[in-house]
Amino acid sequence: MDTFTIALWALRLAFVLLIYLFLLVVVRALWRDLRSGIVTAGQAIGRLVVVSAPEGQPAVGTSFDLDAVNSIGRDVNSSIVVEDTFVSAEHAMLTFRGRAWYLEDRGSTNGTWVNGQRVETYLPLGYGDEIQVGQVRLRLERPRVA
Amino acid sequence: MSSVRGALHRVGIRPRLRRREMGLLLLVGLALVTGWASLESHRAGALEIGDLTLLAVYMGTIGIIHVTFVITGRRMDELLLPTAALLGGLSLLLMSRLPQGMASQSFFGTLLPLAPLQLVWLVLGFSLLGIVAVFVRNDGWLRRYKYTWAAAGIGLLLLVFIFGDGRGGQLLTLRLGPLSGQPSELLKVILVVFVAGYLAENRALLTMTSSRIGPIRVPPVPYLLPMLVMWGLALTIVVVQRDLGAALLFFLVFLALLYAATRRASYVITGLTLFAAGGYVVYQLFWHVQQRVDIWLNPAADPLGAGYQVLRAMYAFGRGGVLGTGLGAGLPQVGGAPAIPAIHTDFVFAALSEELGLLGGLAILALYGIIAQRGLRIAATASDDFRALLATGLTLVIVVQAAIIIGGNLRVIPLTGVTLPLVSYGGSSLLVNGAIVGLLLALSDRGADPPPLPSRRGSLWRRLGRRARGLGGRVEEAVS
Repeated sequence: MDTFTIALWALRLAFVLLIYLFLLVVVRALWRDLRSGIVTAGQAIGRLVVVSAPEGQPAVGTSFDLDAVNSIGRDVNSSIVVEDTFVSAEHAMLTFRGRAWYLEDRGSTNGTWVNGQRVETYLPLGYGDEIQVGQVRLRLERPRVA
Repeated sequence: MSSVRGALHRVGIRPRLRRREMGLLLLVGLALVTGWASLESHRAGALEIGDLTLLAVYMGTIGIIHVTFVITGRRMDELLLPTAALLGGLSLLLMSRLPQGMASQSFFGTLLPLAPLQLVWLVLGFSLLGIVAVFVRNDGWLRRYKYTWAAAGIGLLLLVFIFGDGRGGQLLTLRLGPLSGQPSELLKVILVVFVAGYLAENRALLTMTSSRIGPIRVPPVPYLLPMLVMWGLALTIVVVQRDLGAALLFFLVFLALLYAATRRASYVITGLTLFAAGGYVVYQLFWHVQQRVDIWLNPAADPLGAGYQVLRAMYAFGRGGVLGTGLGAGLPQVGGAPAIPAIHTDFVFAALSEELGLLGGLAILALYGIIAQRGLRIAATASDDFRALLATGLTLVIVVQAAIIIGGNLRVIPLTGVTLPLVSYGGSSLLVNGAIVGLLLALSDRGADPPPLPSRRGSLWRRLGRRARGLGGRVEEAVS
């Protein structure tokens, strides 16, 4: 075997090896990324982000982490306290059952709305839907992942 | 330097280094130069690096895109661009190695042969990727007009049915004056946008109710309608356009999205049953489908006719072995033409596997695996259903298409003519896949805008109205 054949062979292998080096670096990055994203118990399963609040309470942009059962209202014992003139003390209930979120109106004076549609009894929700209680609008979003 | 940064800050742009992307791109560049040297040395019969112009233009484009991302300071995924760049680079290496007369097109009077032509498409495709990633900050225009998109897609399909150019038995190409393109490439993106929008809107209803037929739980019948429409669309594409690959791709991606949105196996089972039934009927009725299946089962029955390409591809895989023949050393010419007629479109995987061997083939599979992981990860961290489903669909369009054509090359499934995304020769394919990766990058941006609020017009009046109502409410409270 002359030197050229050997050199060509080395070049060929170097090319494939460099591709595998690329893959190795990427896979290490993927692994780190996956490790950092592991969801631990006790973490929120969703969040409500305040889209608009004319009376300034809660402030626009505030994000509430959600549990499986959340009460929305003016009462200080609600899991999501919405300080607004048109919100009842016990206004609505947001629950996660099985596969979907459900919003239930708890007999509020001024009603609960989803994407401009009034909630008569209860309504299933998807991430990205907008809830309105009183004058406050909140958007349901996925939990934040690190 | 600091004054430049200050000026950028004043217009709201904060440059942000993307070290991981930069490192990976340097590695891609090094690998491609090595590959180029290996190819040129084999050609010249002596150690040589050859003319690096094509490669320099390609890597330069990618570098400019990287710098743009850095300057705009977007917090986007850093692994997708290098992965796409490596696939595109492999494409460029392969195209400059194939006979240059396989495809040619004139741009502004100069006739470009295969490799420079592919370079032009790669540069345009990656530029589109960069433009989409940087400028698409808001998905409202995709989300809101989903039925308009669907109508545009079906209109596009009808145009092909009526004005299509039926070369090679398949009705794929649409010619409008000097421009020509394959609308089914664009159609797949449009359909993903529509299906993602439809499912995001009706997701809750789809998961909530179900009807029963006997002992089997069946999805609610009204919501099955779009599924039937998609099924009909796929069958129409098979029958009228004779494009089995596109039909398979559309239906599989649709089913996967339906499952992602509802987590209901019953939809998938219903869909696959429909698919099997439709497939059987089409197989019985149409000879071109029968022919594809027959070639798949026994390519040696007609070795010089229908089974020629598939058989040649199998020889190519065999010749490649584990380490491959080396770039430039594979694919003996048969009478001045390459052994496989569609080597630059349908059979790029066979060509690369011959020259880079099993190792190279597995690496290409791994690259698509990386795209799948990144895309689905972007979907998993998306802030709402539409973005999640859009990211899932876009990822699957690339990965499922790659699986369909690689499976066809390897004779795992019947061969259907679709391109290997980002590698095959072809303008439409590269542009659309560039746009898809760009959209995925835009969706991965953690600083992206939330969906838009309703128009702000007349907000002064509305604010005054709200004030008045607030005041009224307080008066009411005080009185009561």
